[in-house]
Amino acid sequence: MRLLRNLVLTSVLVAPAIAWAAPTDDEMVQMLKVIDDRQMNNGDYKSLVYIESKQQDKSDLAYQVVVYRRDLDDKLVILFLKPAAQAGQGYLRVDNNLFMYDPTVGQWERRTERERIGGTDSNRQDFDQSRLHEEYTPKFVGEEQLGTYTVNHLELDAKDGADVAYPVLQLWIDEPTGNVLKRQDLAVSGRLMRTTYYPEWQKLYSDSKGGDVYFPKEIRIFDEVEKGNKTTIVIQEVDLHSLDDSIFTKAWLESKSR
Amino acid sequence: MRVLLVIAIRNLVQARRRTALLSTAIGLVTMLLVLLMAMSAGISDNLVKSATLLSAGHVNVGGFFKPTSGSVAPLVTNVAEIRQIVQENTPELDYMIDRNRGWGKLIGPTGHTVQSGLSGVDIDTESHMLEVIQPAFEDEYKPNGRHEIVGDPKRLSEPNTALIFVGQAKRLEVGVGDTITVQTETLGGRSNTADLTVVAVARDIGLLSGFSIYVPKKVCYDLYQLSPDTTGAVWVYLKNIDDADAVMKHLREVFAQKGYRVMDHEAAPFWMKFEGVQGEDWVGQKLDLTTWSDEVSFLMWVITAFDTVTFALVAVLLVIIVVGITNTMWNTVRERTREVGTMRAIGMRRQMVGALFMTEATLLGLFATTTGAFLGSVLAKGIDLAGIGVPVDAMKMILLSDSIHMSVHPLSVLGAIVVLTGVTALAAVWPAIRASLLQPVKALAHAE
Repeated sequence: MRLLRNLVLTSVLVAPAIAWAAPTDDEMVQMLKVIDDRQMNNGDYKSLVYIESKQQDKSDLAYQVVVYRRDLDDKLVILFLKPAAQAGQGYLRVDNNLFMYDPTVGQWERRTERERIGGTDSNRQDFDQSRLHEEYTPKFVGEEQLGTYTVNHLELDAKDGADVAYPVLQLWIDEPTGNVLKRQDLAVSGRLMRTTYYPEWQKLYSDSKGGDVYFPKEIRIFDEVEKGNKTTIVIQEVDLHSLDDSIFTKAWLESKSR
Repeated sequence: MRVLLVIAIRNLVQARRRTALLSTAIGLVTMLLVLLMAMSAGISDNLVKSATLLSAGHVNVGGFFKPTSGSVAPLVTNVAEIRQIVQENTPELDYMIDRNRGWGKLIGPTGHTVQSGLSGVDIDTESHMLEVIQPAFEDEYKPNGRHEIVGDPKRLSEPNTALIFVGQAKRLEVGVGDTITVQTETLGGRSNTADLTVVAVARDIGLLSGFSIYVPKKVCYDLYQLSPDTTGAVWVYLKNIDDADAVMKHLREVFAQKGYRVMDHEAAPFWMKFEGVQGEDWVGQKLDLTTWSDEVSFLMWVITAFDTVTFALVAVLLVIIVVGITNTMWNTVRERTREVGTMRAIGMRRQMVGALFMTEATLLGLFATTTGAFLGSVLAKGIDLAGIGVPVDAMKMILLSDSIHMSVHPLSVLGAIVVLTGVTALAAVWPAIRASLLQPVKALAHAE
């Protein structure tokens, strides 16, 4: 009788622990792959984006930009449309190199991964395709509650040689949907640099992919070093039709300001 | 000759009012020229002082390291070997130091930010810096601060510390003991930060100090993920700064002979070379040797502009003076036509008549310019000693200092006296020739 009671008690105590067991390394990599694959389109990607940034001691910034992506070739173009003073300015990513074009001086400059797009708190990776499973090695932190959401909290360490702005990420992934809800970027020193929230995700069917492409409807970035600085990115329109090859060239970006 | 001098002096004394007016005009122009030259020399002094403290040694062995063809960092590897080569091949050497170079965003506790260069120093080897840097009183950068120095630059020997300048302290709203954050990126392009305690606040040294802070070398190694055998540049100080060009050329040859890749000489600061080097197709280390003036060449425009304005201003004033003297001498010749006729009638030769008027003008010029130069020198010295502060940032930028510094060079003053006296004499040449050509009979009849 005592044995039976012990067995029942053990089962009651152990069962939840088994149910909440930490995911294996492969499972965590799989989580990241899901995040990356969902946002990737086999064909091209074009979105109209509104960026608003509030910074201490400075005037608020507001931009309208168009983002062009060709995920299979790792190509990215960000073209500024508004305000008029910035119209024609743009970024081009080719072969892991990020270049910025300033039409006022008609010159290209190579920029790093830490480049603040248009002087806001956003980086190239906020607009580019997600490559988390290629660039980072995940580590499970725990299952947590983020507001009303149950999330898996992962810590990601950059792989050697990965060209990333932040060597360590903290990621909170919604358990039921697999979407990223919160992300924190840390410096080499371990200092928290940015906290990013993804309050809403949307999806669009892609003919070229033969499935849905996910994109965050809104991204809210909070600067954790310069407290009070924050940037909001709103993705207004997404178009998954194929783009002209010439778009991903310096000549095309230069032509937009002529 | 003596007779000429006596007559000339008597004539000048007799025409007291005219002599006084002309002397005052010439003297004021001379004084202005001496003051402007002292100001220009002061700016030059400020430039040398701030450049050789904040930006460069007399000669610099710097360079660029490219881990990949598309990325570049302003650093030199194998610093011990480089220092040894400099030591063995520079007889003109006084001493040398090496400093790390970096750039980052400084963030104060209230969230205010400043972009600044980082100089990684070993404070135990920075005796020159400790002599020149002037710690500021707390009330110079902090509202309601004490009128006393509360920091100590020597505390840069402690880990994670920083020496900043008054302008930065005001902007970041920090004082000694407060913490600032430096945000930058590693050699590999990843974000990095360091929290630094401010251990000293120094008085600004013109424009350059607004873009410089001092930190221990270890801070730079950690921020940029570098090994301790790297540095930004070896700063070579010579016994005579005028040898900088020759020593730089010699060291370029020495390093090339020893198998180092040496960049072509370009008279520009290292940070202006980034883009060009980044576009070049090579990896590894290349040395870049420069002089102090190369590293601050972007500031030379200040001196050029000031000297140009000085030249233009003095030239305009000189034209006015020349016209005035010529006109006055014409009048003198006309008034003294009868006197000239008399002198010619009693046997004075034409040349002597011309020489008499020239002597008058030269004596007038010499007296006026010497007096003006003396007053200008005294005034310049007085202004310099007074240490008058410059409240306007734009003026600080032009003067490369927070206070007006004037430097009187005796040779420059002598040059001003000689040139302006010469101009005064030249202005009298034509009236003197006309006087010497007067016919005695006509001249004697003229006055009546």
